[in-house]
Amino acid sequence: MTATPEKIAGVVRPQLERLLAEGGSFGDARFYAEDANQRLMLYDGNLESNTRTDEQGIGVRVLWHGAWGFAATADLDAIPACFDRALANARAAAQLPGFPKDMGPARPSKGEYVAPVEKDPFDVPLADKLAFLKGLDEQLKGEGIAQRVVSARFQRRRIHYWNTEGTEVSRRVMNTFATMMVMAPDKDGRTQRRSVELNSDGAGTRGWEWLADENCFAGHAERIKQDLAAILAAEPLPPGRRDLIILPGQGFLQVHETIGHALELDRILGYELSFAGGSHVRPEMIGKLRYGSDKLNCRAGVTANSPGTFGYDDEGTPQRDYYLIKEGILVNVLSSRTDLGEANARAGREVVKESGTAARACAFYRTPIDRMTNINIDAGPDGTLDDIVRATEDGIIVDTPVSWSIGSNREHFHFGTEIAWEVKDGKRGRVFKNTTYQGHTLEFWNSLDKVGDESTWKLQSVPNCGKGEPNQIMELGHGIPVMRFKNVQTGEKE
Amino acid sequence: MLEPRIRELLTRARDDARKRGVSAEFNLHREKSSLIRLGNSSVALATHEELTRLDISVQDGRKVGSFSLTADVTADQLKNALGHAEENCRAALPKDYEPIFGTVEEPVDDSAGFDPELESLSPEAKTGLCAAVIKAVKPKGAYDFSGSWSTGSTEMYYITTANDNEAFRKLTDGRLVLVLKEQQKKWELSVERTQKAAGAFTAGDIIAEFESLLPVYEGAEGFRTAVGRQRVLFGAQAVAELLGLAVWGGFIGRLYEEKRSYTAGMKPGDKLFADAVTITDDPENRDVFGMPFDFSGKRRRRFTLVENGVLRGLLYDTMAAAKYGRKPTGHDLGNDDFVLAPGRGEPGLDAGCKLAGDALYIPHLHYIHLPDPTKGLFTGSSRFNALRLQGGRFTAPLFSTRVTDTSPSVFGNVVALSSKNVPVNTSSTYARRSPTAVSVPEWLLCDNVRITDVADSF
Repeated sequence: MTATPEKIAGVVRPQLERLLAEGGSFGDARFYAEDANQRLMLYDGNLESNTRTDEQGIGVRVLWHGAWGFAATADLDAIPACFDRALANARAAAQLPGFPKDMGPARPSKGEYVAPVEKDPFDVPLADKLAFLKGLDEQLKGEGIAQRVVSARFQRRRIHYWNTEGTEVSRRVMNTFATMMVMAPDKDGRTQRRSVELNSDGAGTRGWEWLADENCFAGHAERIKQDLAAILAAEPLPPGRRDLIILPGQGFLQVHETIGHALELDRILGYELSFAGGSHVRPEMIGKLRYGSDKLNCRAGVTANSPGTFGYDDEGTPQRDYYLIKEGILVNVLSSRTDLGEANARAGREVVKESGTAARACAFYRTPIDRMTNINIDAGPDGTLDDIVRATEDGIIVDTPVSWSIGSNREHFHFGTEIAWEVKDGKRGRVFKNTTYQGHTLEFWNSLDKVGDESTWKLQSVPNCGKGEPNQIMELGHGIPVMRFKNVQTGEKE
Repeated sequence: MLEPRIRELLTRARDDARKRGVSAEFNLHREKSSLIRLGNSSVALATHEELTRLDISVQDGRKVGSFSLTADVTADQLKNALGHAEENCRAALPKDYEPIFGTVEEPVDDSAGFDPELESLSPEAKTGLCAAVIKAVKPKGAYDFSGSWSTGSTEMYYITTANDNEAFRKLTDGRLVLVLKEQQKKWELSVERTQKAAGAFTAGDIIAEFESLLPVYEGAEGFRTAVGRQRVLFGAQAVAELLGLAVWGGFIGRLYEEKRSYTAGMKPGDKLFADAVTITDDPENRDVFGMPFDFSGKRRRRFTLVENGVLRGLLYDTMAAAKYGRKPTGHDLGNDDFVLAPGRGEPGLDAGCKLAGDALYIPHLHYIHLPDPTKGLFTGSSRFNALRLQGGRFTAPLFSTRVTDTSPSVFGNVVALSSKNVPVNTSSTYARRSPTAVSVPEWLLCDNVRITDVADSF
């Protein structure tokens, strides 16, 4: 079959009607007319990844007597059989019923989302892209630098969605990711590194022009070399409790691991226990739990320039912007339509009113699950980074993850970072290496006492969030200001 | 052998490329995957995917370009994919070393690991077994079961223009994980099974394992152990994690050459771990899935990394081998077949517990990461089934306990290993299906393991 969306729609619509006629309560189909990824990576100047991946196919979900069935195929002549398989799977699942899955009230939508792009990276000749990356690689060369990495990934998707409620939406999604890193051994033989990811202030567009913007990427090459030189000359961070000032380059992962994952409703309800883990949050805590200090305002945001912005989620629900944590109190969670009834029943009251528009699938051959979108922290009242440093007697500033390990219910964590700067009596001082810190989630977020203003807020992309069975890698974003936490355990005691 | 239609398309494309003087590698991956996902003691989702992926890589001297396609492969798609790979190669930057072009060393046609019954295991059959477990295991209080059961078949086919040899493999695999969670105390128990064929386990096996774990959880409160160095009895899944970390941090040729591994500065013959530690990559071991070739066409055979604690070999894929002037070792793949050789300890967990005396029993490690690979430093936390041992008996469940230590320290402080090995499934289902398992002793007793944090919950 020549796979135009119109032709696929002509096959899908009668199949959706058939599902209802055969007793299904809901069904939907996602057709990926295009799912293209290009990955380019220079390692010490050698082009070690020069590949493009193209995928095309359809995924079908069926809800039957409160249980889900899913099937996917790349054979577009076999779409009716794919519906049959999804229905059969749902019937099999319904043999061991639990709390019945339910889509709630129908809210049909029609529309199209097009990611803001000035220059489609796939229209830029490969030779030009490689010349750009090679130029950066040349900039990263320097005395004492042992390894250099420059990489970029471009993603373009054209997705069409239909469901039995009449929703029909399409999306043209574009994402650009990039990383630069320099590495070298220190005097103890330990490899140190410094890196930067393509980032922004959340505005702007998502095409080649973003990568080409000096402020967002290339302009940081010299800085990371200088930072690495300072790290190589530095002493290890002495262990101890001190204030921790987290820059957005580290804060995004702190939020991701200890707020974002913990607030995914499928984790809260126990559907991820056998793989990704659970959550310390229980449904009855929504609306009541003090997750952090009054300074903590966290939202599932709609940020213009972010891989966590997609217009409509994979249930066709228009993406919306809402608070997850308001002035420290947990007020909502990341959800799709399917588990709201179960969450409310378990809580014994209505704790979630509508979909969190977080149903997302990573490919046509994966089913949507509850995922992060843009999990952002609102900028705060405490001024610039310099203002926060001036207000700190004894602390460190940390940036950029090296390692991360989190308890299975997201109740505790251990992070390593590339770099730390000492703060003493309101002044930023020497650099430390081998920085780690650890803590317990609620205690940690309740120790948040300074939140930087808009000038400190940055959008960090996450290209590789893993979750789900079958496993799924998802793209998303975090807009994060500078944050300060009191009395945190830092460094490694022995 | 591969389905004739696809095989003919690919061999014809290879021959055409060769005639045109194009050096190309073709790697076809086909999977049929099915999974049921459980939550709240019910089947919440059943999935099925049939996917064909084709990777084509083209090399011209020091330039390499590739293209991958996920679609139902036709002649036109194949031609276009090869064309894209050639375009990517033309635009590529030349490397500063001579890349090694893939060559199928010897023909392989291996379907010994394929079980049609497992390939077609129905969601109804899976649901039936899980329902039997859920019906039989009745802990006190409020609880529920969750988990997943993935089964499927995988075909891997690799050819290149270097010669007419073909490497083909078809196998089936499955993995069941069931988790029992108590809703108030929030402890979590897990039972896990790996399979190569249908009927590898029964509901009765799983019920018995859950029931053996329940009394200590129901009879004692959670125990918050102390931070510091302790004796730990690791169970099989944790041993598999430790083995993976030890290999990744110490034996990857590229990291070794770049002095980024904890073995940097050492050479084969140097003492690395305790005498009891022998590590191999052994595709012929009966516990593992046994990958017979890698994706440079090299025939894979038993390869020794550590023998009686002594460093013997490092793993070089073709890229690292070419760059650093070494011989590739058959490791252009993600699904190796690592084996930690059994020790001399009496078989059975009871024997391990008796030997351990007072210790922590940690059978799973969750979310391990490497803050410093050059020292082999890792950190991760206990998860399912972790218990306190006193006088060789389980006396209390452990609250979530963080281990932060180094691979050289853990494998240097081995007290004893069970003489019985078991398979541990280490497959992920990210991207393509890729069955992977390791063979490890069912327990490993280790002294001076560094505990760095303890939570107030499981």
